[in-house]
Amino acid sequence: MKTGLVFTVLVLLPLAVFARAWKVDAARSSLAFSGTYQGETFDGRFKHFDAKVNYDPADLAQAKFDVTVDIASVDTANTERDQALPGKDFFDTAQFPRAHFVTTRFRKAANGQVLADGTLSLRGVSKPVTLAVKFAPLGHGATLDVETTLKRLDFGIGGGDWADTSMIGNAVTVRGRLQLSKVP
Amino acid sequence: MLRNTDTRWGSVAQTFHWLIAALIVVQGAIGLTMVELGMTPTKVKVFALHKSIGLTVLALVLLRLAWRLIQRAPREVSMPPWQRAAARLSHFLLYVLILALPFSGWLFNSAANFPLEWFGIFHVPSLTRGLDPVLKAFALRAHVVLFWVLVAVVAIHVFAALWHHYRQRDDVLLRMLPARRKRNLFRRQGVSP
Repeated sequence: MKTGLVFTVLVLLPLAVFARAWKVDAARSSLAFSGTYQGETFDGRFKHFDAKVNYDPADLAQAKFDVTVDIASVDTANTERDQALPGKDFFDTAQFPRAHFVTTRFRKAANGQVLADGTLSLRGVSKPVTLAVKFAPLGHGATLDVETTLKRLDFGIGGGDWADTSMIGNAVTVRGRLQLSKVP
Repeated sequence: MLRNTDTRWGSVAQTFHWLIAALIVVQGAIGLTMVELGMTPTKVKVFALHKSIGLTVLALVLLRLAWRLIQRAPREVSMPPWQRAAARLSHFLLYVLILALPFSGWLFNSAANFPLEWFGIFHVPSLTRGLDPVLKAFALRAHVVLFWVLVAVVAIHVFAALWHHYRQRDDVLLRMLPARRKRNLFRRQGVSP
């Protein structure tokens, strides 16, 4: 009896997990952000990141996102800014080369919007972060859009002399768009 | 007198001349200093100031050129033909340079994909579609070269004005100065008008 249960769990559990696992097409996926600098919006992105996505809209209890970002791959289409951002005053990539986000639970807001609560570790600071999740299945794949707004000063990005939010806005909107395909 | 007369530059033309001259001196001083600053918020603010003053100069120069074109310039002081040619050439060069300098700065700022706000009051559009490394390098080089050419032509211009005033004793300099100043200048020299 006990053996039978263990057997059932061992066979079905991986199946259940695999049913929700997706492969991320890195070439067609993006992790972008928008901030403000001197009163103007600027856009940036992280060229290299690794996302593990387990998601089934019908079974949010089993959903999980686990994302690791190569912070030094930041690109804001401005040479001087891209040289400054990895420095000690900003991301300090020498000490903190990677950011990590992992979900703790998924829930549905009153308006039906799926929200993913998780923890973001960035520049040595771990804080709870909630992503708004949009999942659009298409054929054998799906598009996953996530969005959140962070406060850069929560993570000590641009502290000290750069803390002036009239020059560099505190709010930074982060948008991820992942092209997913089913794991064969 | 707002308008130019046959013998004097009017107060509008004089205001343009001296205001732009002063702003360009300030711009040169800021420009040479700011590039030496370390990467701090101060540097960002000083650059923003340089850009705002530069845009102001550009706008003033355009207005000044419009005024210059609808106004007759004072009659030229009599001088040898080579001097007249040199004067005309250097004045033409000055107009071109004070127009091209702020423009090249704006172009550099655009190609480098930096923000551009006039004294933080309004946004000034980019001349490029975002980052353009080749154009950026060209515009920066142009900005620096044009600056040093301007320094050289301004030096000639100042020298010529003083030479006319102290050596030739003509009114080339005086007619670009407020009328009241005319008497003071003569008094200082001990020359009775």
